[in-house]
Amino acid sequence: MALLAEGKMPERYQRNLGTVGIAGQIRLLKSRVAIVGAGGLGGTVIELLARLGVGHLRIIDGDTFAVHNLNRQLMSTEHNIGVNKAYAAASRVEIINHDVQTEAVPCMLDAENAEKLLNGVDVVVDALDNVSTRLLVNKITQQYGIPLVYAAIAGFTGQVMTIMPGDIGLERIYKQTNAAEKGVETMLGNPAGTPALAASLQVQEVVKVLTGIGEPLRNKLLYFDTEMNIFEILTLT
Amino acid sequence: MVIEVRLYATLRRYRPSIPNGVFTADVPDGISIAELAHKLEIDPDEIHMIMVNGIGRETDGILADGDRVGLFPAVGGG
Repeated sequence: MALLAEGKMPERYQRNLGTVGIAGQIRLLKSRVAIVGAGGLGGTVIELLARLGVGHLRIIDGDTFAVHNLNRQLMSTEHNIGVNKAYAAASRVEIINHDVQTEAVPCMLDAENAEKLLNGVDVVVDALDNVSTRLLVNKITQQYGIPLVYAAIAGFTGQVMTIMPGDIGLERIYKQTNAAEKGVETMLGNPAGTPALAASLQVQEVVKVLTGIGEPLRNKLLYFDTEMNIFEILTLT
Repeated sequence: MVIEVRLYATLRRYRPSIPNGVFTADVPDGISIAELAHKLEIDPDEIHMIMVNGIGRETDGILADGDRVGLFPAVGGG
């Protein structure tokens, strides 16, 4: 931080200079981001936010790694099967960027703890795998005026959106009359490239929200389907 | 009138002979999106998001000639 205060970019962030600049880097280092889920989406989000230098990451996940996570979950290895995902992610962050503080929260987000866990941060990242918790996170972040960066994936498809306070929310994407907790990912699964692509887009959204640079995807859903070369930005109403 | 239908992700299996899920359909004037889904024999419970010309619409929305109707299932993985 001392170097940045003098208008110089530390060597480790030099490749951030041309996009976020000194002012942006300072903002990233001072920012606090909660990532709900440290699996397919979350693992990649956490890795990239840590490398960028987002100063404080609150990692929320009550799950442990299983063998079937290895195809895509960046934080999973053959040596940490059975380890809590939030702890594993925090350990990884420790060895890639000592500037970043982590808070590993080894439990599932629910209606009882959501207010506490989603408060006191600048952005929340939705890296969940079920509809009802996503809707809960949407509701709480709206209530507390916290920007939310959403994504969801299935097979070769993914979708990403930033929901600022007052913006159109997930009720336009998920029919709530349906009892279904999961989407078509139950049929299609998720190959490695899909969460990586969606998570990378989420990271770019987080950077835009934290630094004020560019245009976040507000009231617009970026939808991709790499099987059919579809990349669309859809307008929600 | 003629509209273009785009079936996304798993909804493409309703037209297995059309791999990219994009086709034109001849439909009566004033047809609603719900009526279109019924005509195409797509289970309405599978349709979670509807886009007409890239803009979100409800299932009771009325279509116009030349509209591009996108039907999307629920995507919830992470």
